[in-house]
Amino acid sequence: MEKTIALRVNGRAVSVTAMADTPLLYILRNDLALNGPKYGCGLGECGACTVILDGVAARSCVIPLAGAEGREVVTLEGLGSSSAPHPVQQAFIDEQAAQCGYCMNGMIMTAKALLDHNPTPTMDEVRRALSGNLCRCGTHVEILRAVMRAARLLSSPGAHHDDHPDARSALPADADPCGADGGDRRPADR
Amino acid sequence: MAATGVLLIVDEILPPSGPVAKGATATPKPPETALFLAVRDDGQVFAFNGHVDLGTGIRTALTQIVAEELDLRMDQLRMVLGDTGSSPNQGATIASATIQISAVPLRNAAAEARRHLLERAATLFGVPAGELRVEEGVVIAPDKSGTGNRRISYGELVRGERVELRISGNAPLKAREQYRLVGKGAPRVDIPAKATGEFAYVHDLRLPGMLHGRVVRPPYAGIDSGEFVGNSLESVDEGSIAHISGIVGVVVLRDFVGVVAEREEQAIKAARELKVAWKPWTRKLPDLSNLAQALRDNPSTPRKVLDKGNVDAALAAADQRMTRTYVWPYQMHGSIGPSCAVADCREEHATVWSGTQNPHLLRADLAWLLDWPEERIDVVRMEAAGCYGRNCADDVAADALLLSQAVGRPVRVQLTREQEHLWEPKGTAQLMEVDGGIDADGGIVAYDFATSYPSNGAPTLALLLTGRVDPVAAVFEMGDRTSIPPYDYENMRVVINDMAPIVRASWMRGVSAMPNSFAHDSYIDELAFAAGVDPVEFRLRHLRDDERAADLIRAVAGRAGWQPRTAPQQTPPEGDVLRGRGFAYARYIHSKFPGFGAAWAAWVADVAVDRRTGEIAVTRVVVGHDAGQMINPDGVRHQIHGNVIQSASRVLKEQVEFEDSVVAAREWGGYPIMTFPEVPDIDVLMMPRETEPPLGSGESASVPSAAAIANAIFDATGIRFRELPITAERVREALNGPSEPAPPAPPEAAKPRRRGWKAWLGASLTGLCGVMIGMASSALPFRAEIAPVSPPSAGLWSPATIERGRQLAALGDCAVCHTAENGATNAGGRPFETPFGTVHSTNITPDPDSGIGRWSFAAFDRAMREGIGRDGRHLYPAFPYTAFRNMTDDDMQALYAHLMTQPAVRGGMPANTMRFPFNLRPMMAGWNTLFLNRETYTPDPQRSAEWNRGNYLVNGLGHCAACHSPRNALGAEKLGEAFLAGGTVDGWEAPALTGLSKAPKPWTEDDLFTYLRTGFSQRHGVAAGPMAAVVHELSTVPEADVRAMAVYLASLGGDMVEASAVTRAPVSSANGERLFNGACKACHSDGEGPTLFGVSPSMAVNSNVHSDSPDNLARVILHGIQNPATRDLGYMPAFRDSLSDRQVADLMAYLRGRFAPDKAAWTDIAPTVAKARANPGTH
Repeated sequence: MEKTIALRVNGRAVSVTAMADTPLLYILRNDLALNGPKYGCGLGECGACTVILDGVAARSCVIPLAGAEGREVVTLEGLGSSSAPHPVQQAFIDEQAAQCGYCMNGMIMTAKALLDHNPTPTMDEVRRALSGNLCRCGTHVEILRAVMRAARLLSSPGAHHDDHPDARSALPADADPCGADGGDRRPADR
Repeated sequence: MAATGVLLIVDEILPPSGPVAKGATATPKPPETALFLAVRDDGQVFAFNGHVDLGTGIRTALTQIVAEELDLRMDQLRMVLGDTGSSPNQGATIASATIQISAVPLRNAAAEARRHLLERAATLFGVPAGELRVEEGVVIAPDKSGTGNRRISYGELVRGERVELRISGNAPLKAREQYRLVGKGAPRVDIPAKATGEFAYVHDLRLPGMLHGRVVRPPYAGIDSGEFVGNSLESVDEGSIAHISGIVGVVVLRDFVGVVAEREEQAIKAARELKVAWKPWTRKLPDLSNLAQALRDNPSTPRKVLDKGNVDAALAAADQRMTRTYVWPYQMHGSIGPSCAVADCREEHATVWSGTQNPHLLRADLAWLLDWPEERIDVVRMEAAGCYGRNCADDVAADALLLSQAVGRPVRVQLTREQEHLWEPKGTAQLMEVDGGIDADGGIVAYDFATSYPSNGAPTLALLLTGRVDPVAAVFEMGDRTSIPPYDYENMRVVINDMAPIVRASWMRGVSAMPNSFAHDSYIDELAFAAGVDPVEFRLRHLRDDERAADLIRAVAGRAGWQPRTAPQQTPPEGDVLRGRGFAYARYIHSKFPGFGAAWAAWVADVAVDRRTGEIAVTRVVVGHDAGQMINPDGVRHQIHGNVIQSASRVLKEQVEFEDSVVAAREWGGYPIMTFPEVPDIDVLMMPRETEPPLGSGESASVPSAAAIANAIFDATGIRFRELPITAERVREALNGPSEPAPPAPPEAAKPRRRGWKAWLGASLTGLCGVMIGMASSALPFRAEIAPVSPPSAGLWSPATIERGRQLAALGDCAVCHTAENGATNAGGRPFETPFGTVHSTNITPDPDSGIGRWSFAAFDRAMREGIGRDGRHLYPAFPYTAFRNMTDDDMQALYAHLMTQPAVRGGMPANTMRFPFNLRPMMAGWNTLFLNRETYTPDPQRSAEWNRGNYLVNGLGHCAACHSPRNALGAEKLGEAFLAGGTVDGWEAPALTGLSKAPKPWTEDDLFTYLRTGFSQRHGVAAGPMAAVVHELSTVPEADVRAMAVYLASLGGDMVEASAVTRAPVSSANGERLFNGACKACHSDGEGPTLFGVSPSMAVNSNVHSDSPDNLARVILHGIQNPATRDLGYMPAFRDSLSDRQVADLMAYLRGRFAPDKAAWTDIAPTVAKARANPGTH
C-alpha cells in the first residue's frame, strides 16, 4: 500500500509517497537524488548504504521507508561539499582514503557516527567500529589513518564544525597523517 | 570537437583484437584514426585514453603525464577514458598496462602538441621556440626589449583554425630533470567529489524518463557452457506480477528474462515474484571439493614453453625427489558494488553507460547482440565499483540494452548482490604440479613444472542466454603469466595445460601469475630447507641474472630484519600462539608467453597461528616493490597496500564453494573477505628507480603473497600448506587431526536449576481424545441467534470509557489477529494455520453487514465469553474466548464501546478450510463442553493487588496462554504443568513463560517489563513474529498494566538460577561460523562491532538460540523482522533469497554450539528450515 511519509533529510523536511516497505536506500537515491548511499548487498552486511538516522549509523538498505517516518536522516551530502567538506570528509581527502571509492560513503558515515559518540577512539576501537564495513580494494590502511586524523581535526582547537554544509574546517592541510595511531610506518624512501 | 579553433593530435592505430581462442586466428580490424589530444580555443585541454580508471588512480597519473608535457596545471586538463565515441581503441584495461603501454602514445601526443604550440608562438613573437617557456598553459617570451614578458595562452594560439596533427614520435619529450608533476605524489583528482557524494558512478546516472530493470537469471548459476545454456526456459507467467503496480514490461528472449518498472522497488518485487519455469537441469559439475582431481580430469592440451637440460634424466638421478601439487581455488572478484548499467536504445542509435573494462570490445558484443553495425552504438564509460577483472564481462550493459530496446525508453539495470555472487565470472581455479629434487650436496637437480588453467573467455552473458552465441567452452592460452620461475634451474621444463573453463571465469587480478608464483616460491622454500640453506640466501644463489631482483630481495630482507634460518619453528611459542616468518619474491610477467614484465615485488610476511583453534593472523608484511619510474608514487604506494590486503584475504579466506553444482555463496557470509580487525601492518619499500621506464603496479605486489604467507606458516608450524585458502579449519586439522575438538562439558553450575513449581490450574486433560464425538451429542449444537440491533451511536459512551476500551483492546491484542497484512485495522481476514486447517479472523469493525455493527452488547458478551457468534454459530477456539471468560463486566463494556466507535470497514472474510470434523461448527459445542471451564476471576488475597491485576490480564484479556501454552490433540490449551509452558503459533514457537523456560538467563520482573514494553531485553533478545505485534500493542497501554503483567509472570518462574557465562567453545561448524561473521556480526557483534541503528541483540542470551525448538531461529533468519514491536528496535533483513537451506542449517548449528554450549545440539534443523521456508506465516 502506498503511503505518504514525512521525514527530514539533511536538515530539510521531505515527504515521499511510496510503498511503506521500500528500503530507505531507494528513496534517498531515486526520489531524493542522493548519490552518497550506495547499494552493496541489501542485507546490511557491507555498509555501503550507511546513513545517520537520529544520530546513529544505520544501514539504509534494511530500513523501510516507514521506519524513517518522522526521523532525521543525514547522508554523505549532508556533511559537507567538495568546496566545504566536513572534517571527516576532509580527513578522508587528506589521507586519500579511496581507491574506487564505492565503500567510502559507508566508511565516512560510520566514522562520523563513531566520532560523535567517541571523539578520541583508539586504533582498535576504530577497527572494531569499521569491522562491519567491507572494502575490496584494500584501502583499509588509508581509511584507518583518515579516521584517526578526523578525530584530531575535530578535537583541534579552532575546529568549529557544526555539521552544516557551509561550515569550513579550520585544519592545517599538512597535519601529521600518522601521528600516534600505531598504523603502518611510512618508509624512509619517499 | 565543435570548437571553431582547435588543435587535434591523432594517430593511426590498429585496434587490438579481443582474446583469440586457441587454434583460431584473430580477424584484424582495419586501421583507424584515433584522437589522443585536443586543445580548444577556450583553453580547455582534453586527453583521450582507451584504458579506463578502475579505481586505481590511473586518471590522476595520466593527467600528471599530459599536464607535465604541456606545462599545465592538473585542473586545466580533462581526461576522457574509454568512451567509444571519442577515445582510442587500446583494448581492454588489463595487465596493469595503462602506464607502461597505453600512456606512451598519449605522452607523445602531448609532446607533439607542445612543439606545435611553441612553434606558433615563436612565429607570433618572432623569437626562436627554444627561448620560450610555458606556465600553466601560457607561453611566455622573455623580455628582451624592456617592454615586459609577452604572453599568449594555448587557447589563443589555436583560435580560428582547426589543425590536425599526427603523432610523429619525434617531438622532444620533456627532460626528467624538469619534471614538476611526474614522479611526485599527486592527490587523486576524483577523491574530493567521491568523499562528498558529488561524484556520479554509473550506478548514479539518472536520465529523464529512465525506468528501472531487473533480470531473472536461469538456475545454472555460474555455468556458461553446455547445451542447456540458452535452452532452459519453459514458461514465464506474466500474470504472477499483475498485482504489482508500475510494471512497464516483461522481456523474454530464450533464457534471458527481465522486468522493467517505473520504480526500482517495483522492479525488485517483480523480479522476485515473477513465476518462471525452467526445464530440469541435468548436467552436473565435476566434484569441485576435490579441485586437483577436477582439474586433472578436465581435458587439456599441453603447451611446452620451456625445456632445457635433461629434466627426465636429472629427476631419475635425484638424491631426494620432491613431487608437489599446489591448488588455487575458484575465487570471486567480489566487487562491493554489484554491476549496474544504463542503456538508451532508440530506433537508429543506442547509448550504453557502463563500468566496463573494455569499452570497445563491449561495443562489439552489443552490436552482435542487436545485429547492428558497431557505429550505431556508443559506450560511455563511467566509473563503477572496483572490479579487478570482473568488468571484462560487463554483462549488465547488455541486459540494460535489451530491456531498453524492448520498452523504448532508457532503462537502468542493477544486478542484485545475489546475482553478482552467483554469476560474476570467477577467478579461475588452477593446478600447479612440480617435480624436482636435490642431490646429495643440496644442489637442485631439476624443475619440472606443469600448470593447468581453465580459460576465462566469459562471453557476455546476454549473448549466451539469447542464443546469439553458442554456449561452447572455448580454450584460450592464458595460463602463461609468470609460468617461468625467476630461478635459473639447470634442468627445467615448463608446460602449460590449456583447457576449457569448468565454471564461468574472467581475468582476475594476478591472473595465472599468482598461482604460478605460489608454486614457484613455495617450492624453492622447500628446496632451501631441504638443502639446509637460508631461504633468502638460497633464492639469491639461484636467481636468474637479474640485478634489480637481487637488489630488491636484499633490500626487503634488510628492511624486515630477516634472520637467516635453516629450520622452522625457531621462535619460541607464546602459550598457544606460534609465530613464523616467510619470504617470497616474484615478478609479474604479463600476457601470453613470453609476455612482458611489470613491477618486481618481494614480501616478508609475519604470521601468528593459534595452534588450538588454527586461527591465523598475518600480523605484518614488509613489501618491496620496483616499478621503475613512478608517475605518482603515492598512487603506487596505495596500489601496494591494496594488493597486500586483497591478496592476503584471498590466501587466508577465499574460496568459491559449490552446492548442487552451482555457486553456493550468494552474499558476504558465504564468501568472506578480510575486514578491518584482520588487516596487517604494512611496511612498504619502494625502490628508487627514477631513470628506468615506468612499469605496471596494479597487480605486482599481490603476486608473492601466497608463497610468503604459506612459507611463514611453515616457519610457525612446520607444516606446508599447498592448497588455498589456508583457513583456520585446515590449519587446525593439520595440527590436531581431522576430528573437531569436542566442546567442553558445561560445568555443573552452568545448568540452570529450577525448582518450586506448582501446578497452577486444573487437572491434566490427557486421555480425553476420542471422547469428543460422544460428548457432542449431549451439548447444544446450535445456539439461538441474538437479534440484530441498529449500530449504537457513539455518544452513548463517555470518552473515558472509550479510552479504557482502547487500552483493553491493546492489552487483548485484538488488532494483531483481526487485521490482515496490509489490511484495515480490525477488518479481519488474517489466515491462521492450525493443525486442524486454516481459520481466518473475523471483521470486528462496526460494519453492519461484514462486521459487528448489528451486534448488541449481549451478543458481543456471549461471543467473548462463550465463543458463539451473534447468529448462534460457534466460533473456532483460535479465537481465545476461553480466556476472555474471566473479564469483568465493566471491562467488557468498555471494550464494546471502543470497538463500536471505530470506523466501520466493509470486508469479506475468506472461507475457512478446516479438516473434518473441525469443519463442522456444531462440533465445537462438544469442544466447549470439554474445555470451556474457567470461571470469572477471583482475586487471591494472599497476593498483591498488582499481582492480581497481572494475573487477570495475563490469563484474561491478554490471553497469553493462547500462544504460550501447548495445545492438546483437540486444540485446547493444556493446563497443569503445561500451562504457559510454551506453544506454537503461526509457525513460531511461543516460549515457556514458566520455570520450563529455556532462556539462558532467568526472566526477572524488570526483564519482563522492559521486554513487554519495548520489545527488547538486553538479556534475552528481541520480540519477533507475532510477539512483535503484541508488544506494539502493549506499548500503548498504561505502564502500570504492563508492570502488573511482569510481576505476575515473574512469579511463575520460581527460583531460576542463572547459567554461568557462556565460555567460548570450539566451533562446531566452520561454515556456520563464516556465515555468522560475514552475514550477522555487523549487527550481532556483542560489542565487538559498530553501533548501528536499532538494538543489537546478543546471541549469547538469545532465547531462540537456547530453546529446545529451532523454529524461531529459522524463521527469523529466513524471514527477518520487517515489523518490529517498536520502530526503535530496528529491522532485520530476510535471508531467504540469500542463504540456502544448508547454509541456514549450518549457521543455526553454529549459533547453537557457540552460544548455547550447555544445550544439546538440535537434531531437526534441516526439516525445520525447509518448513519455515515453505510456510512464511503471516507475521
